[in-house]
Amino acid sequence: MADASSTPEPIQRLVEAFHRLPGIGPKSAQRLAYHILRGPDQDAVALADALIDVKRRIRFCSQCLNITESDPCGFCTDARRDQSTICVVEQALDVLALERSGYRGLYHVLHGVLNPMDGIGPEDIHVRELVVRLQSGDASEVIMATNPSLEGEATAMYVHRLIGPSGVKVTRLARGLPSGADLEYADDVTLARALEGRREL
Amino acid sequence: MSSRIRSYNTEGVILRRRNFGEADSIFTVFSPTVGKFDAIAKGVRKPSSRMRGHLEPLTRSQMHLGQGRNLDVFTQAETVAAYRSVREDLDRLTLAIYCCELIDRFTVDRVPQAELYHLLNELLEGLDSSAPLTIGRAFELRILSLTGYELQLVGCALCGRKLPEADALFSAAAGGLVCEACRPSAGSGRIISVRAIKVLRFARNASIGEFAGLRLDAELELELQRALGDAIRSVLDRETNSGRYVESLARPLHGGERSSRRDVQSAPPTST
Repeated sequence: MADASSTPEPIQRLVEAFHRLPGIGPKSAQRLAYHILRGPDQDAVALADALIDVKRRIRFCSQCLNITESDPCGFCTDARRDQSTICVVEQALDVLALERSGYRGLYHVLHGVLNPMDGIGPEDIHVRELVVRLQSGDASEVIMATNPSLEGEATAMYVHRLIGPSGVKVTRLARGLPSGADLEYADDVTLARALEGRREL
Repeated sequence: MSSRIRSYNTEGVILRRRNFGEADSIFTVFSPTVGKFDAIAKGVRKPSSRMRGHLEPLTRSQMHLGQGRNLDVFTQAETVAAYRSVREDLDRLTLAIYCCELIDRFTVDRVPQAELYHLLNELLEGLDSSAPLTIGRAFELRILSLTGYELQLVGCALCGRKLPEADALFSAAAGGLVCEACRPSAGSGRIISVRAIKVLRFARNASIGEFAGLRLDAELELELQRALGDAIRSVLDRETNSGRYVESLARPLHGGERSSRRDVQSAPPTST
């Protein structure tokens, strides 16, 4: 990073703030900071406002834990959505992906996955809230839409173990080959599961 | 560039994955010929990645790597054994993850330890078939002896005198069983039964497969688990991250004190 003594303090502060963002190295941070400095005032004010707003006004929905401005969130209050299914996802971005797919039920955002090796257990993700929600709500099916990774699978199995006895149906997203994939390069587990889940044409 | 890029082939088990940047991951691999090492796979988190499924943790893969400036880079990977049944059972999966963490913690980078590699695969194969979860105890005992922390189970760990066929004090700090006379100088420990001592002695020279044939009741299993847990904690001088989940995931939402790893309320995790 630039020599601190030669750079005015406000610029230095901005460079350091950008540098903390993911994927931004020291050079990119400098470029961004000088870009802001050269640009019109209102752009800088708009950016500052947006940053403050996103921290002040966005919170977690008390029901599904999705990020929202109003509590309960738009998904939970929408009566047209199927109230009987809850789709459990790892993070809020996954909700957007599922919306694009055409899913029109409810959600539950865990904000993490079990990762025993890094010491992340059930207490660190929002799984207890799901249990409470199932006890009071009228959901009959929980769709586990965690990633098909080791951690995602562990989380799905754990949730199943946790809520299975309550009689709620727990389903898991199918696993198979992504479009555009090469069979030749598919791993054994994916291919075996794709074969098990084959469909009649 | 003056130095030519070199590449090599190796087999290995993926111990862990850490996401890096937009679409890359850094994997910790345990190989019989290279030892433990980190390497990066570029673009592995994209759906179109050809290596994606072959580099999942707990997978035994054949891999081709190129030497990088800091980290070696995966160029190809193909599964040798996916240990699918391990992935589909939460208890087996958690135990396998715990054993991988032990390998990670008991080894240093790039020191080949073929016997340890063999032990890990024996465990994963056992868990993939129908071996009981008690093989985790055999793994713990063997990893201790293979890394130079063999427990003293025949003679007293302090004075070396042969022990009578009776219950005895197991002291992790002393490095094994301690005779009646040495007890005051052994520090803390726990009394273990003569049955447990016999199992430990048998396990020293038995393969994981042979150990799987033993019938251990719950009480005996718990006794062994505690004693070996003490020994491992004493060597590592810390708790393992995954150790406590071996038990707590089996008993949903009871116990398992909240770890303070991160505060979800203030910072939504970026585990993409």
